[in-house]
Amino acid sequence: MEKQLQDKARELLESGKADVIIGYGWNRDKSHTTPVFIKKAEDVGKLVFNKLCVNNLSVYLTRKYPDVYAMGKRAIVAKGCDIKNIVVMMSEGQLKRDEVHIIGVTCDGVIFDQDAWAKAEDGSADMGAELKDAVTATKCHNCDVRNPHLTDTLIGDKSNFTPPDEPVGFVFDKIKDIEKMDSRDKWQFWMGHFSRCIKCYACRQVCSLCYCERCISDKNMPQWIETSAHLRGNLAWNLIRAQHLTGRCTFCGECERACPANIPLNVINQKMSLVMGEAFDYKSGYDPKEHPPMIVFNPDEDKDDFIK
Amino acid sequence: MAKKILKRSDLTKLVASVGKAGGAFVAPKAVANGLVEYVFIKKADEIEFDYIVPGKSFKEANFPQTEVVARFKNDPEGVTVEGVELNPPRVVIFGARPCDAKSSESLNSVFTWDFIDEFYTKREDAMVTITVACTTGDNACFCTSVGIKPDDTDGSDLLLRETEGGDFTVEAVTDKGKAFIKEEKAVFTEGKATPKERTIFEPRKLDVDLEKIGEYLKDTDHYEGDLWADMARKCIGCGSCTYACPTCHCFDITDEGGFSETERRKNWDSCQFDFFTLHASGHNPRDRQYKRWRNRFMCKFNIYPGKFKTKGCVGCGRCVRVCPVRLDITEVMEEISGA
Repeated sequence: MEKQLQDKARELLESGKADVIIGYGWNRDKSHTTPVFIKKAEDVGKLVFNKLCVNNLSVYLTRKYPDVYAMGKRAIVAKGCDIKNIVVMMSEGQLKRDEVHIIGVTCDGVIFDQDAWAKAEDGSADMGAELKDAVTATKCHNCDVRNPHLTDTLIGDKSNFTPPDEPVGFVFDKIKDIEKMDSRDKWQFWMGHFSRCIKCYACRQVCSLCYCERCISDKNMPQWIETSAHLRGNLAWNLIRAQHLTGRCTFCGECERACPANIPLNVINQKMSLVMGEAFDYKSGYDPKEHPPMIVFNPDEDKDDFIK
Repeated sequence: MAKKILKRSDLTKLVASVGKAGGAFVAPKAVANGLVEYVFIKKADEIEFDYIVPGKSFKEANFPQTEVVARFKNDPEGVTVEGVELNPPRVVIFGARPCDAKSSESLNSVFTWDFIDEFYTKREDAMVTITVACTTGDNACFCTSVGIKPDDTDGSDLLLRETEGGDFTVEAVTDKGKAFIKEEKAVFTEGKATPKERTIFEPRKLDVDLEKIGEYLKDTDHYEGDLWADMARKCIGCGSCTYACPTCHCFDITDEGGFSETERRKNWDSCQFDFFTLHASGHNPRDRQYKRWRNRFMCKFNIYPGKFKTKGCVGCGRCVRVCPVRLDITEVMEEISGA
């Protein structure tokens, strides 16, 4: 598969169809993968694809990266879940279809907890089937895009995986647990987690759908939200981000993976996605022509009648 | 001479005794899904012993992420400004690592440089640092490559070494440390037979030459070189590395509140944010992310060492561990050392 990927990358660079390939490479110790930007055909050997390729590289297609844009025509190595983000960016006018060459890769799931995986690989921890599930991201257990849905080139063998009818995994279990809580316990659960927030904004920076050039948290004339890392400020930030992603988040899980304070951001964002699914029968990231519900005004299709 | 011993079971007494005297006790604690942090604890059974280094350093104890430095009141008689007089209680940091202890010196250099920042120094004066030498580590640890040893005493008041039985041998480093042992003599007992100490973890030695890195960075031709964009283009511009870092010390002053009452706060800031150097005119001298990353590297290995004798980087490896895109500072150090 890697050979196929590298050959395609070489072909794209040599033919001038792409000036830069945004993909995955190894770090020095081959313990983690890290984003690479391949500009020359002789460097395509650096491209890899494996279970550790967890990053959602679509963030490098946003306007937050003018220097990547300036490199010329962009091609990107993307898993099905990453392509969902590219689709949302297209539906929101951030990216035109012909502005990026999507090298879709079929995928068997990626490792969420890379350190736990490393210990299992080198034999220092016993990796039973159960732990394997724990280090694989929840999104992977429910993935319906292991065969990527929007590509210019498709790499890898067809996956025969069918996702379960009802979503499974840690995130959904946790959502069910929280739904059973009363409002006081819910409040305490979230305030407990938000109290650890250090306002590093890794959740925002790693997200390709947080593409605003000036985030509301950085606006200080007037200052809309408190930027201090006290409980009020942390609550304000985390709620605002959850609201801004409602109906847009594709559950790529990057925010939770990036969070140095281990705040369960997937739980809050996925809960919002479930709500959007119920209210608008909508799932983000599948059709670039369909707009996210929160930016559409369409009273005719409202299934509730209380506002008419 | 027989060595002083601190029994693990006596930590309960120590925590209680410090609390009784009005002090606070900070120690590593498991706070969420495998994350260990230095936090204020009330009981010794909260202490976590199985950790490499906690997520963030203990700089929060004397350089809080957010703190009030002044208050304003606006009433019909006019505006009154009220300063904040700190009178911090004793804070005992237990389970510090030698890299973190060393970083106290680095912060001290900054906060006592051209201005004595009492919000820092008063807290530091009231702090007792009890370090536990490293018996575990990982591939991100690189203290020996920046001239620190995993059982260094610098910056600590007491250095503990874990014994095979789980207790600790105690080495008093400073007068503050000696006085603390005297005060708490009920828990620092004298062992007749010195127990066997655990083997100190030796991190791998990187192929780096700090002097060469310093020279490379001083050469202005290298400032605009391709290396920075090539190696740091993937930086996503979050503040994780700077907030986890024990020696990063930048802060911002912000006013928060309403019309009648306002607080002036000193908040951590990060050179990785694009807002950090944005001028009022709209011009930003560090207009690309790799330039912000270059700044952090320059700060650790050129700007800081140019001003102070203490260390800009203590090799704790936190920035390597937390980086969402695995932009590894040691890879850049090696690249420049080999250039």
